[in-house]
Amino acid sequence: MSAVSTAAGAAGAAGATAGGLSLEVRHGPRHWLGSYVAMLRFDLAAQRTWLPMFLVMQVMFGTGMAIIYGFYIGHMPVSAALFIVSGAPALAVITTGMVGVPTMVGERKMSGSWDFIWSLPVPRSASVASTFTVYTVLTIPGIVVTLLFASWRYGLHLHPNPSVVPAFVLASLMATSVGFGMAQAIRSPFVTNVIVNVLIFVVLLFSPVVFPISQLPGWLAEVHRILPIYHLAQVLRASVTTGLVSGLALSYAVLIAWTVAGWAAAAWVIGRRH
Amino acid sequence: MAHAYWEMCNWEYRNLRMFLPMLTSVLVLQGAGLVLGIGLFFHHIPPSAALYVATGVPVLNLLTLGLIFEPQIVADRRAEGSYEFLRSMPVPRSMMMLAWYTVSLVPSLPALVLSLVVAVARYHLHLAVSPAIIPAIVATSLTGTLLGYALAHGIPSPMVTRLASTTLIFILFGFSPIMFPASQLPAWLVSANRWLPFGSMATIIRSALVHGLATPAGAGRAYVTVCAWGALAALVSARVVRHRR
Repeated sequence: MSAVSTAAGAAGAAGATAGGLSLEVRHGPRHWLGSYVAMLRFDLAAQRTWLPMFLVMQVMFGTGMAIIYGFYIGHMPVSAALFIVSGAPALAVITTGMVGVPTMVGERKMSGSWDFIWSLPVPRSASVASTFTVYTVLTIPGIVVTLLFASWRYGLHLHPNPSVVPAFVLASLMATSVGFGMAQAIRSPFVTNVIVNVLIFVVLLFSPVVFPISQLPGWLAEVHRILPIYHLAQVLRASVTTGLVSGLALSYAVLIAWTVAGWAAAAWVIGRRH
Repeated sequence: MAHAYWEMCNWEYRNLRMFLPMLTSVLVLQGAGLVLGIGLFFHHIPPSAALYVATGVPVLNLLTLGLIFEPQIVADRRAEGSYEFLRSMPVPRSMMMLAWYTVSLVPSLPALVLSLVVAVARYHLHLAVSPAIIPAIVATSLTGTLLGYALAHGIPSPMVTRLASTTLIFILFGFSPIMFPASQLPAWLVSANRWLPFGSMATIIRSALVHGLATPAGAGRAYVTVCAWGALAALVSARVVRHRR
């Protein structure tokens, strides 16, 4: 029997056997979970040198920027310092999710690793879920360390409340999802690189992360009410301070919407065949 | 020598001509963006802070191409092989460096002028531009380009080059008294910056743009520091590019 007809037979009648070989199409939650665990092991092993560097990079960026903003502003009231400290973890999250993840995706695109990953006998959704898990989990210690460093630098005491858990997880997941979706949806790694560089500039100078949104011109404030950066900072800020944030439900809703948009972009790209 | 310089200017210009409009736009946007963006950190920006931003951004305009981009351009040339081709040309290495300096100044100057115009318009500042701006620009940009040249040619690994560039960006933007007064830094960083070139570059540019922000003695010391770093970088560059393999 030729290979072609074997394949046709397998596709036509799942569960058939040929020459003692099981040609059953594997599916179901157990298979998905097994694939997900295998892909987690693959992701951790394949990136074991890059992941620690990634963690160091985000902590350095978050705490570094918290210190640098202080140099620019000079003497400041406690309220301004509190904004900087509670905004610093947002900078760390944005670095990981919207800079680190697109860079990783771009490098894998150039080296052809995605073609290899998509060719593995696991559901593509399990591969993507594994990538999201690794980067989301990796971002959370970055948030904690950045908060500790920044509050120590400015001599402030933060008041974490139970919302730290959903806030940290949603912030990390949103940034990872949007970064991944964007980098997958844009075909050219060069364009992704340009967007990432512009994003760093916009986040550091023109985003209400370490200062109140009221300091922005009206039109820019309106733009930020749609983009995820401001809402990400708000959600994180509300989880460690009291009285600084209002309209928190809207911020959560916007972050969830962006997370879903990131997933949709990723699903649209990886669901297609070349 | 003059012929070799001219030929190399031509070569560098032709090599970069596709990127020059893009580079110029990046530098202009970077300058204007910094001038406008730093103002947002403050509820109402104090005039002294605005003056520091306005007179500090030109320093970054002059350093970005020569100090930050140059090592990356050379790393790319190493990867594509044109680095070896350039080294094989019968042209004095000093003329190659001077030609690169000349061409790298082309996109920086319009960015510098526009940054100042945006700052004056946005913060209603009064600048007192003196003729000392010419030696200040030359000393700052030449030292910056020489430092970039020494880094670019002295570090063979593109990975280390990229790391050095990223570190330099952080040092320039965050830990050097360029766009804010030195008094806002911790004491140990102030002492370190007395011996590093970047704060001194800002002092000499600032002293040529406004009265009263730098004393003549301070400006004199800053010139000595910047020129000493320029000479050191020139020595290192000369040693590195003369080296035969």
